[in-house]
Amino acid sequence: MNYPVWDVAFGAGLLMAVVAILHVFVSHFAVGGGLFLVLTERRARRNNDEALLDWLKAHTKFFVLVTVVFGAVSGVGIWFTIALISPTATSNLIHAYVWGWAIEWVFFFVEITAALLYLYGWNRLEPRLHEWYGWIYFFAAFMSLVIINGIITFMLTSGSWVKNHEFWKGFFNPTYFPSLAFRFAIALALAGIYALITASVQKDPELKARIVRWSSRWIVPCLAVLPFLGWWYIHRIPAEVWASARGPMPTGTHYAMLAVILLSVTFVLALLALARPRRIHLAFSLLVALVALGTMGSFEFVREAIRKPYVIANYLYANSLYAAETPGDGGFNADAVSSAGILPTAKWIKTRELTPANEIAAGREIFRVECASCHTPNAYRGLKHYITLRAWDRNEIDAMLTGLEFMHNNVMPPFAGTDAERAALAAYLSSLHPIPASAPVVTDGATVFAQNCSMCHQINAKDKLFRNLPKDPGTASDAMKDLTSLFPLMPHLQLTDQQRMALAQWVNAQRTAKGIAVAEPGGNEP
Amino acid sequence: MIEPNMIPNLDPNPLPAPFWVFKVLLVVTFFLHIVAMNLMLGGAVMAIAAKWRAKDTSYGTQAFFDIARKLPSLLPATITLGVAPLLFVQVLYGQYFYTSSIIMAWPWFLILVLITLAYYGFYYVSFRSGQQPGKSGRVMWFSAILLFIVGFMFSNNFTLSQTPSRWSDKYFSDPSGWNLNLAEPTLIPRYLHFFVAAVAVGGILLVFMAMANWKRDRAYARLLLNLGGKTFMYATMAQMVVGLIFLVTLPRDMRMLFMGDNALATALLLVGVVGGIAAIFLMADALRKENLRVAGYLVPGILGVVILSMSIMRDILRDAYLKPWFRPEQFTVQTQWSVFPLFLVVFVAGVILWFVMLARFGLLGGKRAGARATSPDSTGAKQS
Repeated sequence: MNYPVWDVAFGAGLLMAVVAILHVFVSHFAVGGGLFLVLTERRARRNNDEALLDWLKAHTKFFVLVTVVFGAVSGVGIWFTIALISPTATSNLIHAYVWGWAIEWVFFFVEITAALLYLYGWNRLEPRLHEWYGWIYFFAAFMSLVIINGIITFMLTSGSWVKNHEFWKGFFNPTYFPSLAFRFAIALALAGIYALITASVQKDPELKARIVRWSSRWIVPCLAVLPFLGWWYIHRIPAEVWASARGPMPTGTHYAMLAVILLSVTFVLALLALARPRRIHLAFSLLVALVALGTMGSFEFVREAIRKPYVIANYLYANSLYAAETPGDGGFNADAVSSAGILPTAKWIKTRELTPANEIAAGREIFRVECASCHTPNAYRGLKHYITLRAWDRNEIDAMLTGLEFMHNNVMPPFAGTDAERAALAAYLSSLHPIPASAPVVTDGATVFAQNCSMCHQINAKDKLFRNLPKDPGTASDAMKDLTSLFPLMPHLQLTDQQRMALAQWVNAQRTAKGIAVAEPGGNEP
Repeated sequence: MIEPNMIPNLDPNPLPAPFWVFKVLLVVTFFLHIVAMNLMLGGAVMAIAAKWRAKDTSYGTQAFFDIARKLPSLLPATITLGVAPLLFVQVLYGQYFYTSSIIMAWPWFLILVLITLAYYGFYYVSFRSGQQPGKSGRVMWFSAILLFIVGFMFSNNFTLSQTPSRWSDKYFSDPSGWNLNLAEPTLIPRYLHFFVAAVAVGGILLVFMAMANWKRDRAYARLLLNLGGKTFMYATMAQMVVGLIFLVTLPRDMRMLFMGDNALATALLLVGVVGGIAAIFLMADALRKENLRVAGYLVPGILGVVILSMSIMRDILRDAYLKPWFRPEQFTVQTQWSVFPLFLVVFVAGVILWFVMLARFGLLGGKRAGARATSPDSTGAKQS
């Protein structure tokens, strides 16, 4: 709202994801690969293994072409991209952490220089001096991870920074150390995985086997230790945040599952390579890398997903509104925008007044400034898809927008704006998938639940719907007539008698199937 | 005309050091970035020029590859030295820089793709060292053109960032980010100002190479000296014209800053002009007398002073453009004493380490190991 919104038809979030994932896949290699180079060089020299040394020279060239070129440019690319998509967050991160970025820049400069000198030094330096450059490279690359890790983890678990705004309090936040260990293990595993690629094109099967076996000593233990580091990491994330990846939030949950599956597949593929080290083919090594890329991408997706609704935890929402009033926020916090309205507050919109005639156009403007940082109308995270799936009409959309912040384990920011603006947004969203008045009303309980309740309610004993809804279908149906009277934050949904009855019966069936006990009446919040 | 409230607000965080600290860092790192960029882009131009000028001799090919082998180091130098001013410009001018970047988002984003392709092009050519340069020449052209486009995007974005009055029309006419700033009258002169400077500095790169080859291969070194020195002279002469056009296209009150209204700006312009003219005459004399000290130390030294003056002038100009909106006093300052000194320590240690790395490699003169000290081994020769 403070900055103009860049309209990316296929989804700004998707562009961000592509740039970020490709970058981290290379930048972690840049860290682990540094240690790999220098330790492999030492090993080859100790064993007088000229062939291994020759391979390592070629591998260094590959390393530089991948990390110094693509890694460095795509790293700058992340800066470019986040500034285009989330300028407010970027501005905050820059001002709060500029000295962190500046320190990282020094290491980056040393890192790049050392990488080039290590490459060019192969045939002109004494072995010990050459290794010295390798160690400096690795040290600088590792230190750049040490720095950037503080800022990335700060975004997920901002710790006490939100209260005191102290640099180190945000930097050494609750997930700092587990994330550092986790990422370093990934970095070391990737060093081995990338080595498989250049190993696979070697003609000498004995050499190939030696490299594969040596690479496996990097891949296998590091992948094996990842679940434990992940467990540590997860336990430092607030339980209610991690809960997003355990069912309530589709994105977080699916990618968490995918990360586990792909990690296992990478592990198995690495073992297969080890089983037949002489015969590893280029296509196979690329497959291992591709699966590893998928694993890494899934992990980053989970981190980003469970961080929602924030871009900086407990401070700034993904749509660039401050979560609470902050001195100097310029009125761009959710409460202030709710009372003043979006159209008068947002800087970069054309429509300033809402009239019955411009309702849909104004709704589209509201969508752009409040939703488009993550959603598109009809592409990446397209709202049309969600609305179609649940067959929501305009009234239902409006009702759902009132409780946006409770959906999917609270991963959405609240709708910030006036009631009329919310209605305009609902009008625009329903125009994406208009429901004809003659459309048949859904009457089976499962679908009623899926379309109207499943965003917030989970089928388990802890869920208030399943715990507290009266067992007698008639009483239950009556209770659901006016949801907001049950609990003021419920959306004002108008289900038909038939739908309510079907839902109550279906809830009872689920209780029986899953053994969910009904709470005694009296303490009944929904 | 822009609505007064369209300039984005600052974020709530205070500046973590006094304004002037960031200003100095911005100008100094920009200066270093632009020197590296000039060497890199000017080098690419000179590689093409050398091949073309001396096509009948083997020296043309030799010069082409000698320069080409330096480019894969000069480009990352440009990028890494560019990251710092990119950081500091966001610290001070984020409100303007982010907005203009978003307005021309796609061209700005595509810079990354262009740089990556140009970079791989440079590596391709440097790895083909010693072969017939036909294909390499075309790849060099390709990389150079991509980088010229990158520079053009930079000129677009930075002129747009300091003219908020253009923002609204551009943004609302195309919020998907396919905009440039082509209507800006200073755009082309400003871009050419950078472009011609790069060619001049590319000439200096050849002078440096002449010095390195002077004892080993006199004829080759003379060719480099003459080509480099003359290119430098003619480019700097052209720069006088381009600079004048740039000055003329500036809005009157900005122009007058450099012509008396602002003493510092006027003095800096004078340093630039006098320095440029002096450099031309000194280079002409040095070429006649084959005086490498003048051509290789004095002229580049003067040039350094001129480029630094220009960097400061650029900053004065930006503040003049933004004067209606931007005030240094808008920032609250709360120096992060728990981190800022650490940065200074790391910075000094990093610079020392960097020089030690170059020295131990033999890149700081003295026990230089060979003419191809910065070349990757592309022949796969065995370790001696």
